[in-house]
Amino acid sequence: MLGLDTCVAEVMSIPGALDAMLLDHTSGMAVAVSGASGADTARSAAALTETLRATTDGLARACPGEVVRIDDMLVTTDKGHHLLRPLETVFDGPLVIYLRLDLERSNLALARHRLRSISSQLTT
Amino acid sequence: MATLDALLAGLARERSTGALRLGRNGTIFLSDGRVTYMECAQTPSVERMLTARGRMTETALRGLQADGGCERLLAEGAVTRGELQYAVLGVVLDAAFFLLPTGGTRPKFRPGERHWLGGQWYFDVAGLVRECARRRACLAATWPSADVDTLPVRPVLWLPGHAVTLTRVQWEVVVRADHKATPLELAKQIGRSGYSVLLAVRQLAAAGLLAAPDPGRATSAENQPEAGPLPKRARHPYARPPHDPEAAAQPLGPPVTGDPTDLALLMRLKKALEELS
Repeated sequence: MLGLDTCVAEVMSIPGALDAMLLDHTSGMAVAVSGASGADTARSAAALTETLRATTDGLARACPGEVVRIDDMLVTTDKGHHLLRPLETVFDGPLVIYLRLDLERSNLALARHRLRSISSQLTT
Repeated sequence: MATLDALLAGLARERSTGALRLGRNGTIFLSDGRVTYMECAQTPSVERMLTARGRMTETALRGLQADGGCERLLAEGAVTRGELQYAVLGVVLDAAFFLLPTGGTRPKFRPGERHWLGGQWYFDVAGLVRECARRRACLAATWPSADVDTLPVRPVLWLPGHAVTLTRVQWEVVVRADHKATPLELAKQIGRSGYSVLLAVRQLAAAGLLAAPDPGRATSAENQPEAGPLPKRARHPYARPPHDPEAAAQPLGPPVTGDPTDLALLMRLKKALEELS
């Protein structure tokens, strides 16, 4: 059974993974992070949850009459892929998995598939 | 008199294990100097969250608590370890947010005591204090007036526009608001953290979706004893959302703080405390 720390380790085992973080969407706080990467985790966590919130907001306005439920969100930069995946839990949240992937060494389809299976192990 | 922060920092330095009881407000459980669990009378507990969402019945939970504890809860498969850790994390941060500022309620430390949900996640005291300050800043940035935190939540009956987007928590708040329940009472009903409901209520206030507080009910005598000669607080001139046509013009620069009522009360408190010590 996955705990929060083991979940981050599991996410980091995805081929091409550079950084992983678990975020609490309500408060914008980093819950668990993979090793020291030199990133300011507190600030990036707050900003990334804000990104997800703004995206939800934009999508809600773009598709009127629909309840928006995000499965995952992908941003590709010139250096890599960034994946955000909100997880529904019984408790507050959602809990969000953030993963940064190397552009050259990663397989996006595989990474998304692995993230999906990890999230199904983390929640009931 | 030592503040709660200082007291906790001391217990952390001594690597104490046990429970710090704060009168009726709540209890902080420590293990080896780190906080493992916090109970706060004002915010929903993990048990409350499990039952409010229909995940477990109260009798089943009491049975677990008496026999088997966490390991049996996980073995029965109602929640995964990750979910339980996340729940404990959320509940402790939420309790800390409301407990840490209270402080002066004759804290009493009982060594050796443990909570049945302790040991899921460990918090260092400095980190808790830092996170609480961050949350307070977030609330203030959303909507500066703390009035809406304690008053009954009263959504406006008519939307001041054509359409609005609500987040999940905002939706739950609007649906459950019966014009009597305060944000923290709603939090217990919905089974969400007090902070997330406070944040949603302040967002609603900022969007102009809450009715202006009813001055008659706000200071009703039923739950607050009449304070006699205490001066009445003047309504903030900009307590209405900025786009409300009746709102006063926003002053340039940050809002002026230092309400004379607050200052007078603080002076009297300081004098009373000095006389006590």
